Amino acid sequence: MKSEKTTKEILEERAKAEGRTPLYNPEALEKIKAEFERWKNTTVPERDRENWEITPHTILGSEIPRELLYTPLNTADLDYEKDLGFSGEEPYTRGIHPNMYRGRIFTKRQLFGAGSPEECNRRMKMLLEHGATGTNWALDLATVQMFDSDEPEAKGQVATVGVPIDCVEDMEVICRDIPIDKISASIVTHYPRNTAIIFPMYLVMAERRGIPWDKLPGSVQNDFIMESVVRSAPEYIPPRDDFRIQCDNIEFIRKHVPQWNYVTLNGYNLREWGTSGITEMAVAVANGIEIMKEMSRRGHDIDWIAERLAFFWAPANDFFEEVARIRAVRRLWYKIMKHRFEAKRPRSMWMRCHVQTSGVSLTREEPMNNVIRAAYHALAAVLGGAQSLHVDSYDEAYSVPSEEASLLSLRTQQIIEAETQITQVVDPLGGSFYVEALTNEIEKRILDEVDEIERMGGIIEAVASGWLHHKVARHIEREQRMIDSGEIKVVGRNYYPDPNLKLPDIWVHEYDETIARQMRDKLARLRQRRDNEKVTSALQALKEACKRGDNVMEYTLECARADATVGEMRRVFTEAFGSWKPPIFT
Amino acid sequence: MAQPRNKIKVLLAQFPLETHSRGIITVAGMLKDAGMEVVLIGNELPERIIDAAIQEDVDVVGISTYCGGELALADDLMKAAEEKGIKESTVFLLGGIFPPKNIPKLKEMGFDGTFLSTTKEEIVSCIEKAIASKRRR
Repeated sequence: MKSEKTTKEILEERAKAEGRTPLYNPEALEKIKAEFERWKNTTVPERDRENWEITPHTILGSEIPRELLYTPLNTADLDYEKDLGFSGEEPYTRGIHPNMYRGRIFTKRQLFGAGSPEECNRRMKMLLEHGATGTNWALDLATVQMFDSDEPEAKGQVATVGVPIDCVEDMEVICRDIPIDKISASIVTHYPRNTAIIFPMYLVMAERRGIPWDKLPGSVQNDFIMESVVRSAPEYIPPRDDFRIQCDNIEFIRKHVPQWNYVTLNGYNLREWGTSGITEMAVAVANGIEIMKEMSRRGHDIDWIAERLAFFWAPANDFFEEVARIRAVRRLWYKIMKHRFEAKRPRSMWMRCHVQTSGVSLTREEPMNNVIRAAYHALAAVLGGAQSLHVDSYDEAYSVPSEEASLLSLRTQQIIEAETQITQVVDPLGGSFYVEALTNEIEKRILDEVDEIERMGGIIEAVASGWLHHKVARHIEREQRMIDSGEIKVVGRNYYPDPNLKLPDIWVHEYDETIARQMRDKLARLRQRRDNEKVTSALQALKEACKRGDNVMEYTLECARADATVGEMRRVFTEAFGSWKPPIFT
Repeated sequence: MAQPRNKIKVLLAQFPLETHSRGIITVAGMLKDAGMEVVLIGNELPERIIDAAIQEDVDVVGISTYCGGELALADDLMKAAEEKGIKESTVFLLGGIFPPKNIPKLKEMGFDGTFLSTTKEEIVSCIEKAIASKRRR
């Protein structure tokens, strides 16, 4: 096989060919340099001179060394137009829209969904009546893991952390009286397989209501890193097959549901599981690259495919790093789409993103401290130019959030939006010597890790070989040691902990067995009422399509039309592809 | 049952559909650092967790749970342990996110330690004390 150039090599060649027009005049830089040396050696205290660079240690941090003071010398070759430009124009460092939040405020998309399909429907209608512009539904564990509510594995897990869906009927209940052609739905199907199973149920529900698919707005997650790496599960399929399902979903949705965002490359959960902010972004970008390669291989136009791709990030504690990360990956994704895949349309080069504040950074001790933490995380995301935001709630170390805590999260967003005034000016930290130097450093580090992944054979290989699993496990173990030793300071836990700490009485969501019983009864009725021969043949056709290499969503759609259940489809995938054991467990 | 040995052996598992594993990996690291032998089996049905505990001949079974429904599943686990005769000789721990008011119920079922937010020292000392008290019995 002819060895192909890595993304880094392509971008470096391109940068070299383009040349640069430095902003600073060399004479001025020389003067600054001389004055800087004088200042550093005379005015700066010796102790600080010796510890000029400090490496911050924080939960989920990237350990990028920081200098005491940043000056033009840190970005001496800055080319304003090439590196920053103007908002809404290449290289999009300053934002994807010219007017950013003046034009459109970040979407306040709070995730919810514990309870039965009926309760979920009631709560969605309530939120819409109170001005929500979209819905964002979490699925319960059984549904996420693709088990029916009546399978033995689902015991105790039905309707706990989200809404249960077994079949199209549940989808009909959840969406009853909701104008799904006007209200965008974010259906948090984390994995390719459950996207292939659950999204067709949404389409069949629309079909039965007479709503054409091209009118449906919304998004699914559909990320194979989530299914093969991040989650823990009772069964897995091989990563290569999982990647293929991810791409089948993208292809089908792009073709038949043109307003739908078919993939949200999820850095968030990988980071929260345990990686630095660099690995979070490198892995999502590497998956994005692999998707574009696969879609070209399947003969699709890059601009047709790319315009609905979105990312999902986790802003955590290191404030300026978080601001710089979003700016850095926006510029990097633009370069990759423009120079590696030769995209033509601006939309195809946009790094659009949803962010959720970090949950792992929150503590059980003194939970009100989490309000402050989440507010800083959210502030960093908005300063970085995120499109959509979820603020974690202070009680999440105890339970899924209470209504009071959810409201406080929404209020946090509204205070940033309406009171701080930070949304009036586009990219307000752009041009800071520090933020620009950090943005450059982070972009370089992300690209270096993308390069490492490509050199080991690409993202699928990085997953199948266990490289990513082990990297995360090492990160988690090391981070815990640093918390235990106090190197990472966590206020209220290891930094000035309260010796008389009492855990507060916090409302927690209780498991309700009646919902599980209702779901089991409904399944029993369904299996009696439907045409079971039709179900069997649809499932058989799906199995053959999996083996033949046809687009699986064409077939899961037929299964959904026949009222096949989530668990029935999961088992077909496992039979067709065989099972795989992630290289982390004994 | 298990012969007294120098190294404490711990089986760590999760109930079948648990998606979160940061906790269990963190605890695995802590226990290895404390010189214990750790067998990490991932997601299994309660009965299978007990089968694995017997097969691996462990001193301790630790469960990580985050998403609710822990009372029903913990009950199945302890019933299986009792049936297969390892309830008295084995130390049982449960940690993660669950309502604090369930702690007395879990203790009643036979859990030796329940952890909502904790340190390596607390887990290790709980294991050592529980093993000592079980061996005295």
